[in-house]
This record gives sequence, C-alpha cells and structure tokens, in this order.
Amino acid sequence: MSSLRELPLPLVLGALLLATGLGLLASMLLPQVPRGFAIAALSLIKAALLVIGFMRLQQESRALAGALIGYAAVLCVLAGLRIALAA
Amino acid sequence: MNAHAPPARFAAAQSTNEGGMELLLWILIWSEFAVFGAFLIAFLILGLIDPPALARLHGALDLPLAGAATAVLLTSGFFAARAAFGPSPRWNLIAAALGGLGFVALKLVAYGHEIPAITAVESRLVELYFLITGFHLAHVLFVALIMLAIAWRPTPRRTGTIAAIWHAIDLVWLLILPVIYLG
Repeated sequence: MSSLRELPLPLVLGALLLATGLGLLASMLLPQVPRGFAIAALSLIKAALLVIGFMRLQQESRALAGALIGYAAVLCVLAGLRIALAA
Repeated sequence: MNAHAPPARFAAAQSTNEGGMELLLWILIWSEFAVFGAFLIAFLILGLIDPPALARLHGALDLPLAGAATAVLLTSGFFAARAAFGPSPRWNLIAAALGGLGFVALKLVAYGHEIPAITAVESRLVELYFLITGFHLAHVLFVALIMLAIAWRPTPRRTGTIAAIWHAIDLVWLLILPVIYLG
C-alpha cells in the first residue's frame, strides 16, 4: 500500500492517457464480447488511478476511496455487459 | 500564555467547523454521483431496449473529439492534483481551469458536428445524451470558473476542496465515456 501512496503524478497522468487511448482502440478494433470486457476493465483502471493517484483519498480514508472505486466498478461492469450483450 | 495562540475552545470550534464542511463536501459529491449514476443506468437500459437507436446515436457521435476532450480533462486533473499536493497552487489551479475551458470548447465543437445527425434519431436516448453530457459540461464550466476565482487567493483548504470536486467531475466523465461513447 505504501507504494500506492507515493505514485508520482506524471506517471498517473501517463497511465490514464494510455488507458484512454487503449479504450478508444478497443472500441474501434475488438469484436463485441472482448470489447465489452476490455472497455470495462480499462475504465475501471482509469477510475481507480484517478482516486488513488490524483485524489490520494486512500491516505485519508480507505473506506471513502473504496466506496468511490466500488461505485465506478458497478457502472463499468454494467457498461461492459451492455456492450458484450449487444453481440 | 501566548497572546497569538487561539483559545482552546476556538480551536475546537474551528476543527468541528472544518469537519462539518468536509462532510458537506462529500454529501455534495455523492449526491452528484447519485444523479449521474441514475442517468447513466437509464441510458444503459434504454440502449438495451432500443439497439438500433443506440447504433444510430453511436454513428453520429464524434469519438476522436471525445478522446481528445478526455485527454484534456485528465491533464487538467493532473494540474488540480499538483495544486492540492505540490508547489505553486495558483499557477496549477489556473492551468487546471484552462484545461476545463479547453474541454468545454472541444465539447461545443463536437456538439456542432453531432447535433444535425443526432436530432434525426427519434429516441429518448438522444434526450438522455444531451441531458447527461450537457449537465456534465455545465459542471465543468462552473467549477473551472470557481477554480479561477480561487487561484486569485488560494489557501490549502480551498485548493483541496476545489481539487476534490474537480476530480469527482473527472470521474463522472470517465464513466460517461464507456456508457455513452464506447461500444
């Protein structure tokens, strides 16, 4: 957990931009079912990076950080399922 | 006794006041998440009910511009985080606010491309699309302007508060992207 507390901000931004680019590529190139899973996973990674890397909320309250990531996970999973089910 | 030290009762009251403000901040942020969450779930359900309308809506959306707007908003979030945790909060707040205004400009350009095609699609999805993205856009514009005002006289508490709200708005956009644009 201590390494997560020390995430450098430029690294977080780089990872967020990379995940965004990969998400756009996945939406254009992948077949429907893997596209749903890839988009859900990448979107959840971005949400977690934002909470842990930019907000550093876990340093003050792990419960609050976990709740935010959990909220994002619900919507990411639902979005991924919708995309996969459209096949 | 040090004449400049605040009395213990005053310090305790100030601490309670700050705790109350923080609670209010998180109530505000979670109420925003509740509203956007309800809209996004409604969009997902309507997309499942009416796939042809969703396909036509996707065909009309400007995905590259949405990607560029995402990159601009995330970069702006980077500067907001630097304002809260690093040196020079004033310049970082100004950079974050300018990023927010850049996002607004990109979204307005995207609307200019999208509106003629989208209005031809007869579905509640179109109304929800404009409601969700327009509501988010209003948040970005409003908070960017507040950030510029705070940059005039930044304090650690104000900077931390506005950065938390800015990240919440970033997070909402990161959820709008897979629900509405991708797929």
